[in-house]
Amino acid sequence: MKLLQAVMIAVIAVVFCTTLLAFQRTADWGYQPAQSNVKAEFAWSRLSYNSNLGYSGYGYGRWATWSRDYPKADRQFLIALNRLTRIQGRPTEQVVNLDTDDIFNYPWVYAVQVQTWSFTDEEAKRLREYLLKGGFLMVDDFHGTADWENFMNGMRQVFPNRPVEDLQDNDEIFHVLYDMDDRFQVPGEQYIRTGRTYEKDGYVPKWRAIRDDHGRIVVAICHNMHLGDAWEWADDPEYPERFASMAFRVGLNYIVYGMTH
Amino acid sequence: MFEFFFKYPAPVFTKGKFILLGSWPGWVLLLLIVASVAGLGWLIRSRLPEAAPKMQTWRAGAVWLLQSLLVSIVLILLWQPAITVAELKSQQNMIAVLVDDSRTMAIPDSGNDGKTTREAAAVKALGDDRSGGILSGLQRRFQTRVYRLDGGIARVQSAGNLQPTAAATHINDGLRQLAADTADLPIGAVVLLSDGAENEGGINLDTIGALRNRRLPVHTVGFGKEQAGHDVEIDEVNVASRAMANSRMKAAVSFHQRGYANARATLEVRDGDKLLASKDVTLAADGTIQTEAVFFNAGTAGVKRMQFSVQQLAGEENLTNNTTARLVSVSGDKRRILYVEGEPRWEYKFIRRAAEDDPGIQVVSMLRTTENKIYRQGISDPKELADGFPVNAEDLFGYDGIIIGSVEAGYFTPKQQELLREFVDKRGGGLLFLGGRFALADGGWGASSAAELLPTFLPSGKNTFHRDPATAQLTAAGADSAVTRLLDDPVKNVARWKKLPYMMDYQDAGTPKPGATVLAEMNSGRSRLPLLVTQNYGRGRTAVMATSGTWRWQMNQPLGDPTHDLFWQQLLRWLAEDSPGRVQASMSVQRLMDTGRVRLTATVRNKEYTPAPDAHVVAHAIGPEGSSTLVDLTPVPNNAGTFQADWTAEKPGSYVVEVTAARGPEELGRDVLTFERTDGEAENFHTEQNRELLEKLSSETGGRYWKAEELKRLPSEISYSEAGISVRDTKDLWNMPIVFLLLLGLISGEWLLRRKWGVI
Repeated sequence: MKLLQAVMIAVIAVVFCTTLLAFQRTADWGYQPAQSNVKAEFAWSRLSYNSNLGYSGYGYGRWATWSRDYPKADRQFLIALNRLTRIQGRPTEQVVNLDTDDIFNYPWVYAVQVQTWSFTDEEAKRLREYLLKGGFLMVDDFHGTADWENFMNGMRQVFPNRPVEDLQDNDEIFHVLYDMDDRFQVPGEQYIRTGRTYEKDGYVPKWRAIRDDHGRIVVAICHNMHLGDAWEWADDPEYPERFASMAFRVGLNYIVYGMTH
Repeated sequence: MFEFFFKYPAPVFTKGKFILLGSWPGWVLLLLIVASVAGLGWLIRSRLPEAAPKMQTWRAGAVWLLQSLLVSIVLILLWQPAITVAELKSQQNMIAVLVDDSRTMAIPDSGNDGKTTREAAAVKALGDDRSGGILSGLQRRFQTRVYRLDGGIARVQSAGNLQPTAAATHINDGLRQLAADTADLPIGAVVLLSDGAENEGGINLDTIGALRNRRLPVHTVGFGKEQAGHDVEIDEVNVASRAMANSRMKAAVSFHQRGYANARATLEVRDGDKLLASKDVTLAADGTIQTEAVFFNAGTAGVKRMQFSVQQLAGEENLTNNTTARLVSVSGDKRRILYVEGEPRWEYKFIRRAAEDDPGIQVVSMLRTTENKIYRQGISDPKELADGFPVNAEDLFGYDGIIIGSVEAGYFTPKQQELLREFVDKRGGGLLFLGGRFALADGGWGASSAAELLPTFLPSGKNTFHRDPATAQLTAAGADSAVTRLLDDPVKNVARWKKLPYMMDYQDAGTPKPGATVLAEMNSGRSRLPLLVTQNYGRGRTAVMATSGTWRWQMNQPLGDPTHDLFWQQLLRWLAEDSPGRVQASMSVQRLMDTGRVRLTATVRNKEYTPAPDAHVVAHAIGPEGSSTLVDLTPVPNNAGTFQADWTAEKPGSYVVEVTAARGPEELGRDVLTFERTDGEAENFHTEQNRELLEKLSSETGGRYWKAEELKRLPSEISYSEAGISVRDTKDLWNMPIVFLLLLGLISGEWLLRRKWGVI
């Protein structure tokens, strides 16, 4: 009888944990915005990944690192995209993950807080294939030495041997739409309160990239800056316009580059 | 036997003219025959009621027929029938005897034992004074001249010294030369001893005409087996003489076999020692010409001598006819394609990526990123397209192909739309329209002046572009098209297309125009629409690819899958590969067999692609052993911009001819030709006796085809000829034995029938 009780408790516990995990990954926590069914050429895709912080990052809760600035940053950026370019962008974003092949329908993807990402071997392989087939990844909002190392831990799972290089001013990605020789550090919203443009020890903005065998940028790395916050807070009168403008130009250039190379 | 019954040899009747020597006119004879036949009929009919019952049936008709024939023959004999025929005067004419001494005459498949060489059998048939061959028979009444026949003819004293070693058989040239060389000689007839293995395929009408003008009958004597026992022979190889580097080439190899029906053989393509492709085939029935397609990569730039062969089978009688070669000029030049795109989109990126992996293609693109910004890629010069789409022909015609993406027709001025038309029509370029929200009908192209360029009639309305999934499938035309060939096997190719991931969107391109070819269709829901449609227009070609969603073929197939890139590279090559340069050189034949005569032709156009009759055109030919020749091409009257020169490639081997056109110091363009002169190779092919050719030659000229065993009668029958010095002889026919036998047969036939019926 005791054995039966123990088994029952174990089964209930497993069912409860599984349900909880599924709920965390899919449930609407009251924070998930409605996504659009409008069909368009370009869908702003935000990468949802598993966090290495010890809890699932897949949900939309406040602990999910991938959803930083989401969805306002995405939607404000899409307004700029549709207004300033001839790209037909979907008005709302698309969340993608590496669990399924659905990501291959979205050849441009944006990821933030990438110092927390972690991949299974299968996820790393899927991201590698995505990038080598023609996908483009833009990463943003991670700062300082420690974040860089953590970011690279995940990146080395994807590309163990591809070098990361510092982009030069004359690189095509800085001229494909706007000429951006005079770039500067774009701070997050904390600038309003602190007046600092950096976070942690990320004093200098790093414009970096990983290329494929043809020399095309497949991973654009925006380190020591927070473009997502600049898009999100662009409508805040206290957030300086020059930071928001720079962030929009960077984002637009990276998208046009991703759609042309 | 024939002469026993008819008194005269057969040629008297085949060549002579029937006449009646009687003094009464022929119509009287006809009248009498009709009257006699009718009278007999009336007589028999009037007596039928009194006749025996047996005779009141069909038997009366039989009697009437026999009696009518008898009376008719007798009446004809009264009019003195005769035949008049031309006959060579004895000892006043020559007989030209041509003996083939080419290499095929050394094949040992003649004579009674079937192991004597054709040449030996021919020499034996001719014989000498002692052996009593046809030569001695001819010499009793005529003078004879013996010639050897190979690449031409040459007189020899005796056929016995001939060796079958000549590298060519040109019966056509030889007979024409004979007719010319003996124009002032009383040649009465020609005797040709040959296997008929003419290297150039046949006897042309000029030669037949020359022989007929002199009324020269050619009597042909065939040697050799008419069908080989065991052999595989390549008949023809059709392959393009030009190709872009690394392009996928298709060759159609035709061959036939004898003795190996249903056996397996291997077809191979080699570039020197390097095997490019091989294909296992099952051999068809004996004598059936079988054509197989074989695909191979053209490889790097340069002049390639591609060898096509069917691997030798055990027991083949002729091992030299399994291989043949073709020269292919592989160009390393890049074809430049201008891609105009109206909005950033994924298709643009992935088309560019596919083109970047093709060393033969350079896509120069102008992309409208914003309302007022154009982003250029692939440009050769910072000024290129700096002012947008070209507004003059000189700039636009520098491209070999144009892609119009999601761009409204209104983006182009009327002048630019006219330039687009001229680009295809006059310049000979390729124009491809893609689907998109600003493309085709939705972009207003149906109402534009460029609508006639499209290979489809666009729908009249808008909203034809849909961002919904559509799957592709090939049509019958697309299954084996170089554009849509993902796999060489057409059946597998169709199946491969069906497995492609769905496309992200589709557009209704309307209905194909007459003459257009639908290579692929797409299924979206219940509707099936044309996907890829091509057509020729003027000197160029146009196409519609009614989607912008093929990029899923790249993103949604396994990493490394070549499908997307291969398709687009093939489509882009189709678009630009055949766009002619300003100088286009050509020659009458690509392969010279045993002759070096060739006519070079060049058409020259200026930068606007209008004819340039004032150009100076020079051909620089580099031949075997580094030989170099400069040939000036002269303008062809009444054909502006066309230049020609006749030239002779003296030595066998490969030739590269670079044709350059210039106007003063300005070079208008250049083109390169390659060809090969092969001496003796044709003699390896078609080695069976070509009886058909020999029979046709003799019948066209009034001669006869003879088998070796019939030759005894040739000396007597050859004299019935109108050539040389001849007289027309009249020969009575009334005294032919056959006439008396016929009369006797009719009378006795009626008597025997009456006896049998018991009504005598």
